Amino acid sequence: MENDKNFTLEGDDLTRYEAIVARYPTKRSAIMPSLWLIQDRDGYVCDGAVSWLSERLEMSEAKIREVLSFYFMYRETPQAKHVLQVCHNISCHVMGARPLLTHLQKKLGVRTGETTADGLFAIEGVECLGACGMGPCMLVGKHLYEHLTPVKADEILDSLRKGDPLRPDTDRELEA
Amino acid sequence: MVKLTIDGHELEFPAGTSLFDACREARGEALPHFCYHPDLPIAGVCRLCQVEVEGMPKLTIACNTSVREGMVVHTRNERVRTAAKQILELHLINHPVDCPICDQAGECGLQNQYMSYGLYDSKVPQGDKVLKAKAEVIGPHVILDKERCVLCSRCVRFCDSVTGTGELGIFNRGDRAEIGIAPGKELNNPYSLNTVDICPVGALTSRDFRFKKRVWLLKSTNSICSGCATGCNVRVDHEGDRIYRLKPRYNSEVNGHWMCDQGRMTYRGVHSEKRLGRPQARRDGALVDVSWDEVHETLAAQPDGGPGLWITSPHQTLEEIGLFAALAGDAPRSGGIVTSGRGASDDLLIDADRTPNRTGLTWFGFDQHDAAGLSALLHRSKGAVVVYGGDPAAEMEGFAAALGGRPLIYFGTHFQTTAELASLVIPMSTWAEKDGLFANRQGRVQAFRRAVARPDGAREDWRVLADWLGALGGSGIPTGLPDLRRWLVDRASHLDGLDLNALPAAGALSGAATAGAGGER
Amino acid sequence: MSHDQYKILSKRFGRNDGHKLSVYESEGGYDALRKAFVLGCEAVIAEVRDSGLRGRGGAGFPTGVKWGFVPKDAETVYFMINADESEPGTFKDRFLIDYDPHLVLEGSIISSYAVRAELCVIYIRGEFGWLIDRMQVAVDEAYAKGYLGKNILGSGYDLEVIVHKGAGAYICGEETGLINSVTGLKGQPSIKPPFPAVQGFLDKPTIVNNVESVAAVPHIVTNGAAVYKQHGTEKSCGTKLFSVSGPVKNPGVHEIPLGLPFREFFHEWLGGMADGEEFKALIVGGSSVPVLTADESMRLNLDYESCAEAGTMLGSGGMIIIPARCDMVELIQVLMHFYWDESCGQCTPCREGTGWLHTLVRKLRRGEGTLEDIDLIDRVCNGMVGLTICPLSEAAVMPMQSFLKKFRPEFEALVQGRTEAGEASRWAREFRS
Repeated sequence: MENDKNFTLEGDDLTRYEAIVARYPTKRSAIMPSLWLIQDRDGYVCDGAVSWLSERLEMSEAKIREVLSFYFMYRETPQAKHVLQVCHNISCHVMGARPLLTHLQKKLGVRTGETTADGLFAIEGVECLGACGMGPCMLVGKHLYEHLTPVKADEILDSLRKGDPLRPDTDRELEA
Repeated sequence: MVKLTIDGHELEFPAGTSLFDACREARGEALPHFCYHPDLPIAGVCRLCQVEVEGMPKLTIACNTSVREGMVVHTRNERVRTAAKQILELHLINHPVDCPICDQAGECGLQNQYMSYGLYDSKVPQGDKVLKAKAEVIGPHVILDKERCVLCSRCVRFCDSVTGTGELGIFNRGDRAEIGIAPGKELNNPYSLNTVDICPVGALTSRDFRFKKRVWLLKSTNSICSGCATGCNVRVDHEGDRIYRLKPRYNSEVNGHWMCDQGRMTYRGVHSEKRLGRPQARRDGALVDVSWDEVHETLAAQPDGGPGLWITSPHQTLEEIGLFAALAGDAPRSGGIVTSGRGASDDLLIDADRTPNRTGLTWFGFDQHDAAGLSALLHRSKGAVVVYGGDPAAEMEGFAAALGGRPLIYFGTHFQTTAELASLVIPMSTWAEKDGLFANRQGRVQAFRRAVARPDGAREDWRVLADWLGALGGSGIPTGLPDLRRWLVDRASHLDGLDLNALPAAGALSGAATAGAGGER
Repeated sequence: MSHDQYKILSKRFGRNDGHKLSVYESEGGYDALRKAFVLGCEAVIAEVRDSGLRGRGGAGFPTGVKWGFVPKDAETVYFMINADESEPGTFKDRFLIDYDPHLVLEGSIISSYAVRAELCVIYIRGEFGWLIDRMQVAVDEAYAKGYLGKNILGSGYDLEVIVHKGAGAYICGEETGLINSVTGLKGQPSIKPPFPAVQGFLDKPTIVNNVESVAAVPHIVTNGAAVYKQHGTEKSCGTKLFSVSGPVKNPGVHEIPLGLPFREFFHEWLGGMADGEEFKALIVGGSSVPVLTADESMRLNLDYESCAEAGTMLGSGGMIIIPARCDMVELIQVLMHFYWDESCGQCTPCREGTGWLHTLVRKLRRGEGTLEDIDLIDRVCNGMVGLTICPLSEAAVMPMQSFLKKFRPEFEALVQGRTEAGEASRWAREFRS
């Protein structure tokens, strides 16, 4: 684990952090959104961030790490650029999640749980993502891709490599 | 009062009584449990104390239930026993069978439980067990074995709610859950060893005690910690003449279930190499062994009308201080350096006064002095100086100069600075080697018992003083300890009304102390 | 289609504009809120109680009754919306937030008002990152329009809303787990008593309701309990969203009147199995309920009581159609992995038991199991029931024991080497075209 003694939040990040703490009823209850703020910025929560939060939220480092380690989505180490989270729970399994995972593993040359050498992709098997009727599915950051086939999966990977992620069907217009 | 039936017996308890406590009283022993502790918030996670309450569809945990009128409770029927057995079997899945190398063996909650239920084998082969870190030093006093942990969370709740330091957490979830500390941090609050006491298994163990002695070989003696004026009640665990550890002893009025780490380590001083083992006198500048007959002769002799200054210390027992006061008579006297034996206090148990009986000094008319004051006393007095306990030569500057080469009779447990100035050195027993009484900061008189033998060359401390008093022509000298304790009561109004030979288990508060009146007679 | 009459919650599903405030308002949105203020808190509680609405997260506890547990003189009350939807097979709350966030929000506001809550926390599972933004937009719109904040619509009622992002823990769907998660602790369930309605978040009365439950409230307030009860059965009132997955012709979220016979649902709503697939087993209410064989399913009515009589539970309505090509031992391994992964770890029976079940099933699948292991699995399950703080332990046992009971020959065949260990599934094809 990295020991980032220089961790700090500044500028807009600090403003957002302070807004969070102001909004939540107690300092402690602000821990989850604070961890998200940090992870959204850095990709993970480093040791320095835990110390930084510990000083401000009246929680010992052990208590913060309890929260960090309890929830699957929080990460304590740097992650691949694109973590491909493929649901391997029952409905997606029935609809072909395992062959999809096998395909991804072959395509990327890594096993589930590993990261490609270029740091671009990691494959994870995760639990139900709430897309059971539209499976197999995979979550990449905030993008949920459904009705996956090897062909579609390949298209998504290519689009991610290009830095222009394929737009998932779940992504709809948000104009008011 | 609430009436309820437990295992067929109808009993009454005050409203609000925990069903756990009620069952303990009814059964004569506690329900099986790991996570419940009377001084910690209820967790209700171990699930072992479940009992059948008629009318409730599921078993109920007794620790989180209050007695209710008309409750009918079963604690030993088939359903309850089956549940406990199932839970134990599940505990043993991943628990490593470390007993042969685990300090907890013989006082282990898991061992005790499975011996009741006859489940000795884990059903899961070693290769399938969840592995975790073992023998991890997590603080100056505590070592952690994560595999042995039954996740009762007592240690975490202790650090959260008793010390408020929050060093410990339970990380991860499911069967990957494990006790731990944050990286770079330590379990180093001043009460860390209490987590070892409350850990029902060998997950948290004492580094100091590690691998030293099998617990079934230890004998226990009730005592009082001498580390500060709180006077935590303790238990001295010893084998032969060696003390291996101190454990807190419950006293709801003084220390609850806890004691501090420093207090636990006070036993080490008993076995120090610097212990004074036999009487010595200075001849031609060097200390040589002398016989006790010579000691008594020296003490009985009264050159210059007897010692001119009597200095004692707040480390002595009430009995010793009382006799010493009688010996001092009207001569100048002191209870030692007022600033020594002080430290920082905290909100829990550690008192700023790091001596066990400063209260006792005041009851027998001993004021303490600062360096200037003691120096003045030394200058103003003539004849020998008696130092009974403590180490004034180290605690103040200029003691040797102020002493000015006069004879110094030093009674001590260890060879300390004052001994270097002494003409006669008389060995004393530590608190662990004699019966005695201390008065703590509350004015509570508490008794402690002898746990181990005193050094071969030492004599019973109070008797040396009593003999001296007799040799100087005193009358009515106590002939035994019970007699001495009655004699004491007559000599200090703070002890009025107390039967020092039959003190209640929690000790006895001095009435006069709380009223602020009284003094030496 | 005749099914449109049941589209009370799912009225705007499938549209690309239903999430907009302007659209919602133009279709009658926030009128229920206005009416609620006129009715008053007590009347709203009474209406919801009379409607027979039951908690739609899975527990099925009467919603109006739960609201009634809040002490009337409580000074501070909290409301929390449980959008932690993680029950395998369930995705209806996601659809509600996705297509109709304002319906959820209006329902939340009315429900909060009914119990005089001052703060409503909408707890959305972290994996729905793409939906959390959407809900926040809706909340911002509501604040701007005066449906949230101080003195809402001049009623004198103040309400703040926080959209709270979860971080990947199924157990946070348990109401005290959710409360603890919001508190900043691990999302582990608490022992009860105390019950949240009396002593919950920050020790204050707290109501936790599922998304679908509160989404029904505007309709109930607008049209009254009697209209709500037009659909459903006597004890299972109203409509329910069923999330359907598996190889049927029309998977997805369907809103049905409770009491609908499964046979009718299967053939007329779901279109039966997809081509080349054969119906073998049914999980009716999310993975944590006992499985039914296809035959049993055809005799089932979809309401709480009928499901209980059939030896299963309506649960979350997360319906999984299992085709004949699936190996039940393989499927139960998938599920046992899930519960092992998600157990919070507090209670020994669940913590160790879920791990042990997973280990044992994996042992069978590797070809290393014995017939005694099958019996052992059953025995371990018995030791996990009725002994824990929360029902996750039972949630693992229900599928495990029912799969064993109803498909035992598949387990035995595996042990006896009649199916190939490790590759026991018989896929007809790997992907839907």
